[in-house]
Amino acid sequence: MEMDNKTQILILDDEPIVCKRLKPALEKAGYVVETFTRSMEAMHRLTEKTFDLVITDLKMEGLDGMAFLTEVKKRTPGTEVIVITGFATMETARESYQKGVFDFIAKPFKLGEILDVVRKAEANRRQSQS
Amino acid sequence: MKILFAGDDRPYSAYALKKVIDLARNTWADVTILGVAPTSASKDVDIPLPSNHALIQALHRYRREFNDELGQAGSPYAPERFSYEWKMVKFGLWEEMKVSRGARKDLKIRLRAGHPANEILNEAKKEGSDLIVLGCSKGSQCLWQDPADVPQTVVGNADCSVLLVKEDKPIKRIMACIEDSTVSQESLEMINQMATIHQARLELVGLTKDGAAKQVEYTKLIEVGDYFSDRGISVKNRLAEMKEFEAVIAKETDEDLLALWMGKKSLLSVLFPKDWMDRFLSTCQSSVLVLR
Repeated sequence: MEMDNKTQILILDDEPIVCKRLKPALEKAGYVVETFTRSMEAMHRLTEKTFDLVITDLKMEGLDGMAFLTEVKKRTPGTEVIVITGFATMETARESYQKGVFDFIAKPFKLGEILDVVRKAEANRRQSQS
Repeated sequence: MKILFAGDDRPYSAYALKKVIDLARNTWADVTILGVAPTSASKDVDIPLPSNHALIQALHRYRREFNDELGQAGSPYAPERFSYEWKMVKFGLWEEMKVSRGARKDLKIRLRAGHPANEILNEAKKEGSDLIVLGCSKGSQCLWQDPADVPQTVVGNADCSVLLVKEDKPIKRIMACIEDSTVSQESLEMINQMATIHQARLELVGLTKDGAAKQVEYTKLIEVGDYFSDRGISVKNRLAEMKEFEAVIAKETDEDLLALWMGKKSLLSVLFPKDWMDRFLSTCQSSVLVLR
């Protein structure tokens, strides 16, 4: 029952080290986190569960992050998406915002930075729901 | 990503700002522009320097240049978020002022008072910066106007990576020297961004001693090379004798970015005790990225 009230976060990054770093930090902050390193598996999970927040990398094999976030926003427009990328360009940043992402964060970043953005996205989601 | 640009009023700082603008344009990083007033400045007034002081003028100019490039409507830095915040206008007196912040990302202009290198390091630590960018004189020395050793002190003591900009030159190649220090995930990501933004090719240089590379270093060179090539970055590996490395960078670096991993166990610091960092910073004719 308590779990239902917690913000549900899906993380998709093909670098396991990124998921390994983010998951415990976000769980410690009180979030429920699922991590994926393959976009197709993450996409399948989206068909089973609605997440409040999605944190996704952009450059990945198979379905890339841009296609993934497009699908997330199409499926559940209320889900806030945060893009994290190791290959930032003006075009990818602009395109991400045009697709409705909440924030665009270039790697490297400190855990504090992503936690701040997650809290803001969570507040934004709550505000738009109320 | 959080970038701290530390600038004084000299031309090398203006060059370095251009690099910061380039980085921000692509990464949409939170950016802080920092100036440091000398310790002699009073700390109990609203601003420790008169408004016509060269440093204050320079900070105004840097903000204007940044906003001219990235502050237009639709930009993440466009000043669109307004709020009322309490600010100290004089010691013991506060005023609620209307403050505008970037639509999505912040550009902060800050002034600290104290020793420049110490204050730059303090600001980077407090803000959790991922990269410090600062300019320095070009040619055979890498100095600030006052005090001269600011670049060396910042590079030697920062917890995060530092980009030293010597000249406003394009970066066509990143020459990254791999040796026996820790290669952090953050440092790999920083190289990724630099290679992507500048569309630069990457050359990894493994250092050998008397013609031989340790197995562990050779393995690391291959692993790091694989990491980048798996991510679509054009990468070339080569070996260079340690004793000749200084000559290699003096001869070969022009439109390049020299990247050095500087850990506590750096082999370079064993081979070139005490002053190795100064020597490499000075020898390199182009910008230097010190990774952590």
